[in-house]
Amino acid sequence: METVSSLILIFIGAALINNFVLHYFVGICPFLGVSRRVDTAFGMGLAVTFVITIASFLSWVFTYYILRPGAPLPLWVWNVMGGAEGATVDLSVLSYIMYIFVIASSVQFVEMYVRKFQPKLYESFGVFLPLITTNCAILFACLEIMKHLQDPTQLWGLHEALVLAIGGGVGFTIAISLMAGIREELDLADVPEALKGAGIALIVAGIMAMAFMGFTGVDRGVEQALMALIGR
Amino acid sequence: MVTTVTLILAAVILALLAVGMGWVLGWASRVFYVEVDPKVEAINDALPGANCGGCGYVGCGAYADALGSGEEEDVTLCGPGGVSCAEAVAAILGIEMTETWPYKAVVHCAAHWDDRLEKMEYTGERTCTAANLVAGYQGCTFGCLGLGDCERACDYDAIHVIDGLSTVDYEACTGCKQCSMACPRNIITMVPFKRSEMLVVACSNHDMGKDVSKVCTVGCLGCMSCTRESDLMEMDNNLSSICYDDYEQCEDFEAITGKCKRASLVWVGTPTEADIAATADEEVPDRIEVDFKTTVDDTEWRG
Repeated sequence: METVSSLILIFIGAALINNFVLHYFVGICPFLGVSRRVDTAFGMGLAVTFVITIASFLSWVFTYYILRPGAPLPLWVWNVMGGAEGATVDLSVLSYIMYIFVIASSVQFVEMYVRKFQPKLYESFGVFLPLITTNCAILFACLEIMKHLQDPTQLWGLHEALVLAIGGGVGFTIAISLMAGIREELDLADVPEALKGAGIALIVAGIMAMAFMGFTGVDRGVEQALMALIGR
Repeated sequence: MVTTVTLILAAVILALLAVGMGWVLGWASRVFYVEVDPKVEAINDALPGANCGGCGYVGCGAYADALGSGEEEDVTLCGPGGVSCAEAVAAILGIEMTETWPYKAVVHCAAHWDDRLEKMEYTGERTCTAANLVAGYQGCTFGCLGLGDCERACDYDAIHVIDGLSTVDYEACTGCKQCSMACPRNIITMVPFKRSEMLVVACSNHDMGKDVSKVCTVGCLGCMSCTRESDLMEMDNNLSSICYDDYEQCEDFEAITGKCKRASLVWVGTPTEADIAATADEEVPDRIEVDFKTTVDDTEWRG
């Protein structure tokens, strides 16, 4: 029960309170670029959720077993080489290159698979898949997971990493769909000449970010509610 | 010792990962290979890639798919690509191409601002779509409104409102149909340019002659003089029209244009050399070339 409530908190934290787009300002390029129509924006959101989950799974595996300080693989090599007790080999410098590498190749793989076996799905978001490879929201999720694998006393398990990834993807979908809905209406609004296009889009994004600030502290309330539930 | 092991381990892990991922992707590209018709790819390369949608498909890729699969048989739908593109596509598909002509936009109105009658003061939004909703912007309910919806729709800077009338620049027009779709009165149509200069009916008013003369000094009265002169001309609900299918057969255009008492039959397109010679002594405004220099470079900032 303890784990379930912590997972719920991680999910709400990633999706609403610390929304990737509106709190950390990562993934802004698709957020502005593909938010002209609600249906494409929703498709983009689903594609990001899909890719972020796969990338987070892979990066958790690599980080847990290879990259984090005190990971099994470097430790084993260190012992085989006959290194002194106590010293550890830290490979976390490799994290960025490793994540980019893993994200790019897994997206490529997924794209080939979907193209072969799910042509309908490929047509609906095939265009977005290669774009997502260079989406910083994905890299951000991987780095966020790495942050929670630094301290050996509080290691995140795979389930926590996956919940964070799905929560981040859902948060991205919410943000981009809301943005697309607003921008569809914005086409009919009388916007001052100088602010047309990107200008008003950025202002709207800023106001949305401020609105999402209102979620601050929601986690504490949810936590208390969950505690009360467990206590009963 | 720690540094050495870290360096070696990092190099080995990255190398292994690269080889492993390369192997997986190489394997996947063969196992998951999807056969793409080489014809479709070749057609896609031959099309201009402007994705303007003028052919009626979503983009160039969709048109190439339709051509490759045999769904679409007409290779001449691409306006921006023109004749050379249609020939290239026909060559790829291995079909004979019948003679084709570039389709270009024609504004079926000849009335400049001063030619229009019964005008009223209009203070609304300066778009044709808005002005078309109110009665009495001008007397003629068929003619050009001259507020430039077509000008804004054009991606090629080929149509401009000059003296209240939309005027096509035929050197720049690619026939992408954007202006004809933007026009709320549907007076811009696509005409096959069988010669560099085409005769068109520059009026859209279907009203009786008496009503036309009340609202316009140049519009077609439906007097039928031109139809009596040549089979090329037809009457369509009080408005003469040109049957472009028979355009090549017609020899004597002078006789037709001579019959028109108004200014409804006009020549559009690139002027012929004879026309240039005939108007040599008249003063023509210079053609303005587009200058892409930004204004920022030579702006002086003071205080």
